This record gives sequence, structure tokens and C-alpha cells, in this order.
Amino acid sequence: MNKNPYTILGVTENATEKEIKIAYRELAKKYHPDNYEDSPLKDLATEKMKEVNEAYDEIQKMRKEGRSYSSYSSQNAYSGGGNSYSSNTSNTSGSYTYTNYPEVRNYIKSGRLYDAESILKGVPADNRKGEWYFLYGMIYYRRGWTDQAYNYFRIACEMEPQNQEFRGVFDRMNSQRSYSSPEYRRVHHNSECSTCDICSAICCLDTCCECMGGDCIPCC
Amino acid sequence: MFGYVNIDKGELKVKDYESYKAVYCSLCKTLGKEYTFLSRFLLSYDMTYFAMLLMSGEDGKLCSKKGRCRFNPAKTCNYLLKDNTQEPLSKASALTVITAYYKLRDNIDDSGFFLKLPLYLLLPFMKAIKKKASRKYPAYEKICGEMYASQKNAESQKLSIDECAEPTAHFLAEILSVEAKDDNEERIYMELGYHLGKWIYLADAADDFEKDLKKKRFNPLVSNVSAEREEALTRADELMSQSLCLLTAAHSLLCFKHFGDVLDNIILLGLRLRQQNIIYPEKGKRK
Repeated sequence: MNKNPYTILGVTENATEKEIKIAYRELAKKYHPDNYEDSPLKDLATEKMKEVNEAYDEIQKMRKEGRSYSSYSSQNAYSGGGNSYSSNTSNTSGSYTYTNYPEVRNYIKSGRLYDAESILKGVPADNRKGEWYFLYGMIYYRRGWTDQAYNYFRIACEMEPQNQEFRGVFDRMNSQRSYSSPEYRRVHHNSECSTCDICSAICCLDTCCECMGGDCIPCC
Repeated sequence: MFGYVNIDKGELKVKDYESYKAVYCSLCKTLGKEYTFLSRFLLSYDMTYFAMLLMSGEDGKLCSKKGRCRFNPAKTCNYLLKDNTQEPLSKASALTVITAYYKLRDNIDDSGFFLKLPLYLLLPFMKAIKKKASRKYPAYEKICGEMYASQKNAESQKLSIDECAEPTAHFLAEILSVEAKDDNEERIYMELGYHLGKWIYLADAADDFEKDLKKKRFNPLVSNVSAEREEALTRADELMSQSLCLLTAAHSLLCFKHFGDVLDNIILLGLRLRQQNIIYPEKGKRK
């Protein structure tokens, strides 16, 4: 798929370097992997992030070579790398070193929640340690049962306070529970100084001048 | 359970507010045309959001023309032209009518003897228009019917908050996923619909907390958290915030050809504003 990289970033072809950087940063904040760490939509967000990164790198490359998008050959494939954001290395399934339930983890990863749950339900009550509660919490979370999930993650952390994986997920739950919406992008117009700003600055300058014996504006 | 999914008007540009109103007025017109004049009273902001979501992916331009408001002839409204908006408006109208019918059934079940009587008078009319809507869009009727039965069941058994919210959450997830154009969009709509449905359920529970407590009606916050307002609403705030976080993440993955700014306003600002007004009414309502 060869989309116009300017369209992907939501800017015009004659956007300034600053406008492109702002657009890129806003999209990177939106699709950052950290926002989708435990989400069932993580792969879609990763794809979007990759598309945005590639579009940004493509624009940098085109501008460096002094070309516009229309003169750029459609055979040129996007190339990755460069100064773009890369995904955070932390990953729920990758951050554990040992697991008692590899099959359960695979089922959760592939969305087979009932299969994962039936394995966990078969574990005798006195064998249910921290990881059992953690994985059951993850099943509830994927199902959308956030209240139950939170309780189970809390129990897992209480049972194994040193476990970084459990602590990481529980901390994310806490930050989601105190979530406040980001501001959506507003169009900022080019003028950075209003008339009021200029007038106030001149008045301040005049006051400072008068303190030092001069007079910038004689009439005030 | 209606009216929570709305704009933050103060943060919306005038041109976007005008296009939002055009959808609202067009939905009113479609309801009147397809289901009698009285159906216009069922109009809601939530269904306006649904109509906009359906129209957001349409190819081509969306145009409008001026017309007179049926309720206030002195007022001029913008109405969307039929071309690529007819079907989304028709779907939103059908869903309005079907959900209103089940809402009426629910109110009858929850009401005392004297309030039941006038509600029963409305039932034949609502049933008739619901039947018409169900013939056009049987999938909506099936999903709504299942939601109504599951909700009754969950609340009679006094289950956990998640289990009580599940029917409404699942309902909206299914409704949106029916409208998805491809597999990826279906996954996003399922996640968005689920957490939006859950958020709406919790908003309704928090908003009706004191009323339900007084009238001894079922409320998931009373049965699972506390009969103390502050404790119950703090938990509602946490759960709503978490659902808001998750539905925002899903919404962010969608690309809109139309109404992008209005939809962003609703999801990123409108829902948060409504939540603040419900949980902290003492801070003064901002509309």
C-alpha cells in the first residue's frame, strides 16, 4: 500500500518542518505502544505506529533529496529507521522469565479466553499462587471485566510483591483508573504573538527603561 | 440511559457544531418520515453519535440544505442530503425505536402500580413501530432483545458490577460490529462498543444512585460497593475512567472521512465532561 506520507501525517505537502514534527509527535503519542500494552488491539496500533514512522522518514528523505511527493517514484518502498519513535521494549508476554502456565499464556495471547479459563479452573484451590491470579486477571481484563481483573491483579501483587510483571500490569490498571482524557489536536494558527503581547512587552520595556534613567515612550 | 454520549459544546468549533446539528435534525426528520411524527420525541444525542459513526466512513462529500424545523417553524435547520446518508440515518432511526421500546418495557417493570398505567398506554404504539423497525433491521432486534433478557437476569441475581454491565456492553459491541466494513474495523468496533456500553451503564448507575437507593430499586453500585454515596461514586469514577481510557484507545485507531472533529470532541471531551457532572455535581454543571 503506497499512501501519500503527507496524508498519513495529516499535513499538506508545503507544511513547514515544525508542522511536520508537531503532527508526527501527536500521532506518535496517539499510537504509542505503551497505550496498547495489554490491549487486544495492540497489533493494529503497532501497524499504525509503523505506518506513521515510515511516513515521517519518507518525508525527511524526500525533502533532503529536494523532491516533492508527486515526482517521487511510486516504486520507492518505505524504509524504516531514522529518528522515529520505536516501540517500548516492555511487553506483557515477554517480560516473564518462567511460567507455570505456558499454554494459558498462549491461549490468552491468541484470544482463546475460554480455553485459558478452563485450564485455570482445573487447578486445585491450594495450588493457586500469584501467577494463577495474574493470568485469571488477564482473562477478565481481555473480556472487559475490569473490576474483577483489578481485584485479581491486586491479589497477585500481594502474593508475590517482587514480581515485576504483576507490578507493571497493576500499575497500568491504576493509571487507567485515574485516566483523564488527552486534549485533542487543535489547529494552531501561525501567529505566536498577539497584539496584546506586543503592547504589554513595550510597556514593560518602557518601565524598565525609566527605572534606569531612560524613557522608551516619552508620553507614558 | 440516554443522553450521556454528547458533545462538549464549549470546545467545538462553530462549523463542527453546525454539522453535528445537521445530523441531529436529519435524524429527527428520518424518524418522522419512517415511523410517524410522534417518533421524533424519541430522538437522542446517543443515536446522533451512532448515525455520525456510520456516516464517518462514507465516500464522497456530505452536503446539506436548509429547511424549517417541524417543532419550531421560526427556526431554520440544516438537513443532510439523501445520497450517502439515507441508510445510516435509517439504521439510527430503527435502533432508536427498538431501544426505546425495550426501555419502556424496562420502565414498566421497575415502576409502581400507578406509574405503570400510563406507560402501558404507550406500549401498543411502541410495539407497532418497533415491529416495523425490526422488519428492516432484524439483527438490531435480535441483539436488543437478548440484551433486555440478560440485563433482567443479571440484575435479579445481583451479580458483580462487571457482570451487571456485561449485557449493555455486549449489546453495543455487537451493534457496532454488525456495521464494520472489514475484520480490523470489526475488532476496533467491538472494543469501542464494549467499553462505551459499559461506560454508559455505569454513568446511568451513578446518576440514578440516590433515586434507586430511595425507591429501593436495584443499583449495581449499592449492591457491590456501598450505600454511601461518596464510596460508591468513587468506585464508579474509577471504573468509568478505565472504560474511557480503553474506548479512547480504540477510537484513536479509527480513520474518519467525515465528522472526525465532532467524534473526537465527543469521545475525548464530551464523555469526560458528563462523567464530571455526574460524579461531582457540586462543582457546578458545565454543558
